Amino acid sequence: MSVQSTVRPEWTVVIDPVLQKELEQHIFVTNWPKLLEMIDTVYNWGRRSSLWPLGFGLACCAIEMICSACSRFDISRFGAEVFRGSPRQADVMIVSGTVTKTMMPMIARLYDQMPEPKYVISMGACASGGGPFKEGYNVVSGIDKYLPVDVYVPGCPPTPQALLNGLIALQKKIDGESLADAVWYKPEVERDIPVPVLGPDLIDVRFLEITAEKTAQGVLDAIQADMPKPLIIPAPQPEKAEEPAAAQASAAAAPMSAADKLRAKMGGAKPAEAPAAEAPKPAAKPAAPAKKIKKAEARPSLVWLGNDKLKALSDRLNGEFGAGTSTIIEAGLLIPADRLLAVGKFLRDDRSTRYDYLASLQSVHYEDCIEVNYHLDSTVHPGTLIELRVRTDEAEGKGEVPSLTDIWPGAEFQEREVFDMMGVRFKGHPNLTRILMWEGYAYYPLRKDFLEPYYEGPTKVFDSRVEEGHGHHFRSEELNPYGTNLKIPRGYEDWDKLSSNDDVKGKNLMPGGVQISELETDQFVVSMGPQHPSTHGVFRMNLRVDGETVVGLKPVMGYMHRNHEKIGERNTYLMNFPFTDRLDYLTSMGNNFGYALAVEQLMGDDAKVPERAEYIRVIMAELTRVASHMWAIGFFLNDIGAFFTPALYAIEERELILDLFEWASGSRMMCNYFRFGGVAFDLPKGWKERCHKFVYDRLDGKIDELDKLLTGNEILLDRCKGIGALTAEQAIAWSTAGPVLRASGVNYDIRRAAPYSIYDRFDFNVIVGKNGDLFDRYYVRLQEMRESVKILKQAVRDLPEGPILPGKKSYQIKVPAGEAYSRVENPKGELGYYVVSDGSATAYRYHVRSPSFINLTSLETMCVGATVADVVGILGSLDIVLGEVDR
Amino acid sequence: MLEIIGLIIKISIVVGVTQGAVAYLILVERKIAAFSQDRIGPNRVGPLGLLQPIVDGVKMFLKEDVTPNYVNKPIFILAPFLSIVTAMIGFAVVPFGPVGPNGPGLFDGPIQFQIAPGIDIGLLYIFAVGSLAVYGVILAGYSSNNKYSFLGGLRSSAQIISYEIPMGLSVLGIVLLASSLDLNTIIQWQDKNAWGIFVQPLGFFIFLICAFAETNRLPFDLPESEQELVGGFHTEYSSMKFGMFFLGEYLHVITVSFLVVILYLGGWDPPFVSLGDSGWLMAILKVGTLITKVLAMIVFVMWIRWTLPRFRYDRLMELAWKRMIPLAIGNTVVTALILQLIRR
Repeated sequence: MSVQSTVRPEWTVVIDPVLQKELEQHIFVTNWPKLLEMIDTVYNWGRRSSLWPLGFGLACCAIEMICSACSRFDISRFGAEVFRGSPRQADVMIVSGTVTKTMMPMIARLYDQMPEPKYVISMGACASGGGPFKEGYNVVSGIDKYLPVDVYVPGCPPTPQALLNGLIALQKKIDGESLADAVWYKPEVERDIPVPVLGPDLIDVRFLEITAEKTAQGVLDAIQADMPKPLIIPAPQPEKAEEPAAAQASAAAAPMSAADKLRAKMGGAKPAEAPAAEAPKPAAKPAAPAKKIKKAEARPSLVWLGNDKLKALSDRLNGEFGAGTSTIIEAGLLIPADRLLAVGKFLRDDRSTRYDYLASLQSVHYEDCIEVNYHLDSTVHPGTLIELRVRTDEAEGKGEVPSLTDIWPGAEFQEREVFDMMGVRFKGHPNLTRILMWEGYAYYPLRKDFLEPYYEGPTKVFDSRVEEGHGHHFRSEELNPYGTNLKIPRGYEDWDKLSSNDDVKGKNLMPGGVQISELETDQFVVSMGPQHPSTHGVFRMNLRVDGETVVGLKPVMGYMHRNHEKIGERNTYLMNFPFTDRLDYLTSMGNNFGYALAVEQLMGDDAKVPERAEYIRVIMAELTRVASHMWAIGFFLNDIGAFFTPALYAIEERELILDLFEWASGSRMMCNYFRFGGVAFDLPKGWKERCHKFVYDRLDGKIDELDKLLTGNEILLDRCKGIGALTAEQAIAWSTAGPVLRASGVNYDIRRAAPYSIYDRFDFNVIVGKNGDLFDRYYVRLQEMRESVKILKQAVRDLPEGPILPGKKSYQIKVPAGEAYSRVENPKGELGYYVVSDGSATAYRYHVRSPSFINLTSLETMCVGATVADVVGILGSLDIVLGEVDR
Repeated sequence: MLEIIGLIIKISIVVGVTQGAVAYLILVERKIAAFSQDRIGPNRVGPLGLLQPIVDGVKMFLKEDVTPNYVNKPIFILAPFLSIVTAMIGFAVVPFGPVGPNGPGLFDGPIQFQIAPGIDIGLLYIFAVGSLAVYGVILAGYSSNNKYSFLGGLRSSAQIISYEIPMGLSVLGIVLLASSLDLNTIIQWQDKNAWGIFVQPLGFFIFLICAFAETNRLPFDLPESEQELVGGFHTEYSSMKFGMFFLGEYLHVITVSFLVVILYLGGWDPPFVSLGDSGWLMAILKVGTLITKVLAMIVFVMWIRWTLPRFRYDRLMELAWKRMIPLAIGNTVVTALILQLIRR
């Protein structure tokens, strides 16, 4: 129909033509498009101004997403503060953080469950394209591989302002939509996303056939066979053979540099001669002159038992259990696997040793063996750390050592992690299943011979990405024949057994339950998470409940596993700093601290931290503690039902601390501020004064305010007293750390137990609770903030002038060969970094002892017998951060 | 005939006003939340964000209405309607203003500010209807075939059944005093003597707590408790069906606030002054007083929500059965005794 035909004749007669035109244009509905336009206006207006996000946080970005709701940014102005826990009621999905393969099926499902019209905001570098974690074997290279994205918000993480900007961009996009072409009214457009399957890798069912075809051809294996392999070194041998060991190390390092050169020359594209998958290639031709590798002083950690005492202990063990029980290697005790249980029991129970605390457990893949090593400390004699080593078969899936869960129950998850990552079996482990990856994943990813789908070379930056002289950058997708982050073993056949309805991650972790009531009642299993309002990220618990009472609980994790450790082995030492920021993304300064200490321990006097830098480090670490505890308390209150108000009050103080961080380091959350031997930049002018004012004039009052408003509240006491209690013995046995351990009455704070940096100079108390229940954990955190303020006051007062680095800024870090385990008291507990260096540019093995992860080991014990509501509170009281749990 | 027309007019006014009020109460809630959290709150649509409820409404109506295929369909659809209807029909006996022969005249008789005037068991009716509200929640929880919803439904049934008892017992005191179940008579008694809150402080307190529990508001919002059960009974609901639960919840808040004001805060009796019996002006003043009090009450309910943590489910039951029921019984007995003694 034409426009003219709808104009009524009387108008042309009576009305002034100008006015008539005006009316036609703006007032009267004269034609279909115009009517549609008017309806569209209302239709779009409704949707644009009422965008309710799905309450769904993946990683670091989620923290900034939450911050966008706090008083400083206030997303509620746009009517978008109504975060819905259920996808059925949400309008926009903010994909906030790294999308992992383990999580991807859940995200697809959530998206499918959202009612139309639905929108997706991809927040941050990871969600948009994989970000810093892109090379990880468990990372999806951008959510847009699966979901249609409406708005990308760049940044890592984007600040809350950036998210608001993204929201406004989405509103503008909605403004441009029209009923006429709204896809969700077209039945022929399929908007649902097929849920990808967790098989040998994450398999997109849309490309199943082509994936199968390429797998059968083995294209990726062929390509990777030609790439320079990461170096694999032999395990260190006993003392007397020091000469050959050093020689080996140097010989090992030489081909490394040769390989580097080779790769640089060939751009990683030219096929090399050896298609070796098992035998590492750079065995031959040490073309470069073998330079002597410096060796670091052998000691497990900065504060430890000491050489003499270790010798005595070793002799004693040999006397007790027969010769050959204990051999000292690099200041650690090598124990034969068959005597490990006896030795462990002895070390734990003997009065003179009392190694009751398993600080950390990790594994290293060497050429001739896989070594599992244990760092033990004693809460009775703190600071007497020793390291035990057990070696087992190197071949894939063959290694087996006895499980220590009977002696130190805290080993449970750590042993599962070693099994998951290295394929070492633990005999006698109660539930040896994969913990971070899923059952059925084809590889043991931390083995040195596993190359990730996007592998290009042993050390970043990969020069294969840049074609010299052409200005062209290759994306890693282009170098993988599947065109995505995918690697499937060539022989894989079971394509038709894949089903997206399989709960691969959770099905082996169904809690069995006991009948608790005399009445015969039906129990049922509730899967809480990975998307749940109060699991603090993508954590999942399988609960078996009898009515409201929890009779069984199994934590399921790995939904945030973004391959920190594997990536850490590709990064040069310096390059790894920003990655440590993203472990526990609420405490980036503290994470930096631990990592710096580990590498400094290896570097020895080359990285002697100047006074001023030490003070700055302590100030930053303690500010971090205050910020993190603020967050923890706020969200703990949120978990027990106080709707965001305490949390938002706490975030206000955190914001002020973040301001200080941003001013000093340039970034709010991911500070990347520490350097080996000091800090990255000196404090800007005026920083000290502002910090002084904040610490002296504001913080105490605010902590008191929280204390006054919260601590006496009857409901809070009712919800917290006596719930989730751990006795001191349990807390130690489960290897809990930080406020959780201290709340149970154990006086164990790394700052005092194994002092690092300059903490011995400050006057502060270690806060210890009594009952180990939720209230004590809450209260210990609150009091610890007071102690931190005390330290801060002293540090800010005494901050000396001077250099902030021992020498010049350096980008080529030379780290002597050896191993180090550093421990810092992070807000969440003992954060440990275990670094093995072979003298090359990257760490040979890099492991993080993460307090959040290990604290979770005791979750089941605490929760069984409690109610569903308590479980949420207990989890909140542990104060986990998923970036650190799953790494 | 005229009566019926009058009735229809009254019903439409009440329905229209409460529905509109509910939409705006959601905005008020969001603004109060913003206030208690040092924020600004919705302010982008319309002045001060005043159009926000309309925007939300438009969006809700236009959302896809998902009915998952694993639900029990008829019940799933029925539940949100039940939730709204049961919350609405309680208004039938609420006196919004003066009722009786002295009301302002219009046409051939005095206007009664009550949809069903002269029901002498008004209070019983409200309790009877109010306890039906649980069906909306239970049926939603049951029919959704979702474990969170199921737990929410279970909680709700236990909670509402438990809290009916102390609630019913707590009002006996004021009923004894006023010697009537008619809400209007109770207000008149308070007008003549003293507000319920002064003569029945314990009763008021118990009633208030039960009112929170009845309306599923924090600290008793266990059936939907977001941190534990995601959305509780309405986890599976989307679009306007979810909106109806939302509306139902706020309608319930309004009904309960009316009850608190009528039973214990003197209804349309303003503090310190005594209003005359007849005339338009007096009637309007009385209605205004009542509405103001109710609004204050609603704001109070919301304020609580943003300040307190939530009770645990079993503690909530304990509170009802071990503390409030004995207290409420005691309150009734003592009131009855004193009354007997005075009347002698």
